[in-house]
Amino acid sequence: MADKSKLGTEFPTFTYEVEKGKIAEFVMAISQKEGKDQIYVSKDVAKKEGYDDIVISPTFQTCFALWGGGGLMPMITGLGINLGRLLHGEEEYEYLKPIHPGDVITCKTKVVDMYEKEKKNKPGSFMEFTVLETEMKNQRGEVVIKGRSTLVER
Amino acid sequence: MTKEVYYKDVNVGTEMPSFTSDPITRTHLVRYAGASGDFNPLHHDNTFVALFGLPNVIAHGMLIMGITGRAITSWIPQKHMTKYKVRFSGMTDPMDLNDAANTTNRATITVKGKVVKKWEEGKDKLIECEIESSDGNGNVKLTGTFVAALP
Repeated sequence: MADKSKLGTEFPTFTYEVEKGKIAEFVMAISQKEGKDQIYVSKDVAKKEGYDDIVISPTFQTCFALWGGGGLMPMITGLGINLGRLLHGEEEYEYLKPIHPGDVITCKTKVVDMYEKEKKNKPGSFMEFTVLETEMKNQRGEVVIKGRSTLVER
Repeated sequence: MTKEVYYKDVNVGTEMPSFTSDPITRTHLVRYAGASGDFNPLHHDNTFVALFGLPNVIAHGMLIMGITGRAITSWIPQKHMTKYKVRFSGMTDPMDLNDAANTTNRATITVKGKVVKKWEEGKDKLIECEIESSDGNGNVKLTGTFVAALP
């Protein structure tokens, strides 16, 4: 059961340097094919489509915590969440500035809400929700993405 | 090249072009695990899922969100996206290569969407589109919305 005293906790910040190869690897994984003619892989194509450089795909920032922050496990353990009951409930992004290869992104994650809801089919039994917000800033101090994740213990 | 989409051409009720993924295999899951860094054994290790009584490894929810994002950017150039939000509602089993006939549908994701709001805010011309991703058997995997600022 998530530990409600953790509401408001800020996790240690971490940084992730965005690499061109990782952007391409990620887009191949979600597109289920090897595409070389994309804004995520070729600087020339990206420029033709009005970008300054290669950009990341809409969900690439999931890599920042998983590769840059030592994974989700320390957070989950720190919050007292039972991994065997954990589900990913919701994920939300607000895009404020583009992210390009070479950018160094600093992420700060905070627990902004913890609540429970009674299960419809099981009165007296509760699902627990933990909401995390992550602010991602680039090397110039500009906020590039705001993320919000809802974790559910069923 | 993604074709430009103009505010004047999009209206409440406009449907996003439907998008269908390749059937998701365990190889796709392994590839996504490596790319994203999400090595939860739930997504690749049958001996782990057996501990919880699940018959199969299941796809990463974030892979389905990624596939859905690709469907969106096949229609709206990515630079216009300002918000993207999903709620996960069902697990996705990968296709079994030795039983393609019975398992292809459950592993094939179709993304549909419809514009529900269109408005101007300052100098931005915005649309909000509802999206839903489901498998070939009609089981919904996620629902959500995205907002885009169009020229």
